[in-house]
Amino acid sequence: MKHISEEELIEQYYSRITSGAARHFEDCAECVVAYAELANDLDEMEFAEPPARDASYGARVWESIAGSLPAYEKRKRNWLGIGAMRGLSYAATCALLVVGAFYAGRIWEQKHQPTAARANPPQAQQPAGHPQERVVVVVLSDHLDRSERLLVELKHADANSAETISPLRDQARGLLAANRICRQNATKIDDPALASALDRLDHVLGELASQPEGLNSAAITQLQNEMNAEGLLFEVRVLRSRIPEGQTGEKRRSEGDSI
Amino acid sequence: MFRMGTNDHEAIRAVLKGDKEAYGVLVARHSQSLFRVAFRITRNESDAEDVVQEAFLRGYRKLEGFESRSNFGTWIYRIAVRCALDKIGGRRMDDSSRIADETDPEEEHVQVADEAAGPDRLLLSGEIGAIHELALRSLTATERAAFVMRHMEDCTSEEIGAALGVPANAAKQAVFRGVRKLRSRLADLRVMR
Repeated sequence: MKHISEEELIEQYYSRITSGAARHFEDCAECVVAYAELANDLDEMEFAEPPARDASYGARVWESIAGSLPAYEKRKRNWLGIGAMRGLSYAATCALLVVGAFYAGRIWEQKHQPTAARANPPQAQQPAGHPQERVVVVVLSDHLDRSERLLVELKHADANSAETISPLRDQARGLLAANRICRQNATKIDDPALASALDRLDHVLGELASQPEGLNSAAITQLQNEMNAEGLLFEVRVLRSRIPEGQTGEKRRSEGDSI
Repeated sequence: MFRMGTNDHEAIRAVLKGDKEAYGVLVARHSQSLFRVAFRITRNESDAEDVVQEAFLRGYRKLEGFESRSNFGTWIYRIAVRCALDKIGGRRMDDSSRIADETDPEEEHVQVADEAAGPDRLLLSGEIGAIHELALRSLTATERAAFVMRHMEDCTSEEIGAALGVPANAAKQAVFRGVRKLRSRLADLRVMR
């Protein structure tokens, strides 16, 4: 039989005897004796009791310490003052860092911009110096402008309405030739993004133009889906934005309007 | 201005708002219980009074960290136990020089058993309590505080652990070691009787 340890007996003495220990005591005389001896020893321990303190003791303690205690609010204000100073210094340091970073960025940008500009001259600016290229850009701009309008119309076209479908087919036929010229030119000037976009545009225009009896609703829906999935309209708009503002078809048109 | 009827939390709020006098209410209310435990641990009246003052001073300084959901009495009691521990921890080294011819609790002088006299002399002179005191003072500061809190203050192991800043199991072990040492020291007396 495993006996209750002395440590456990002490615990039993100071707290209520557990049911497990009580059951053990019923079967184990040795532990009962050990427990009785322990309890006897602890019961008989005599220690001096604290001397009585009169009712005014608390007041006397307070009198003895009150003088050395600063009022809390004053101290707190000091702490707040220190905290505010610390906060201000942190804020000033942060502001200094931000301003420093800003100016460092500006200086870095100024130093590197000319180099970057030399390394990657904007393609849209190239034609400005050459009359022949400027013509190509204007043609491209105009083509993209018209293509965008067509794609917008196609996007919102009612597939079941013949009235809206026929003009689309005619516009597509008109744009198809210009698109092929632009695509050849894009390949020639080695602009893969433009060539790729014009290639996909060519597919859409070809589909639209190659319907002699007009487009059926299924074909229109399929084209709309393809156009949306490929983000063609968005791409055409991006390509348009690459062309300098003074060379766009819109600008040209507005100039024409004013004449 | 605060009166004795004010509860502890109201008094603490007032102190933190700058009413220093409100702390006097707390001091008056808890001084007796702090003195009791301080005396039981230090075994010396003037040390116990020092401990009470030190505990209230520390309590005042830490009052901002007092959590409002806690009991101020328990909180300041724990501080007092720590102060008492500090007191006896720093004093134990000098205990050997304090042994005198006559037991004087006020001066912490204890008449110790002269080995030549034998335990019967101690019995005859009615100094059993003094022997118990001496045995108690032989414990380490932690053992003594843990034993006092368990034996005289009816604290649980968890409460002792919280006051001493140790886990409950460590507090239980400290009580166990204290009881064991005391029984060992007092064994001769038991045999003689």
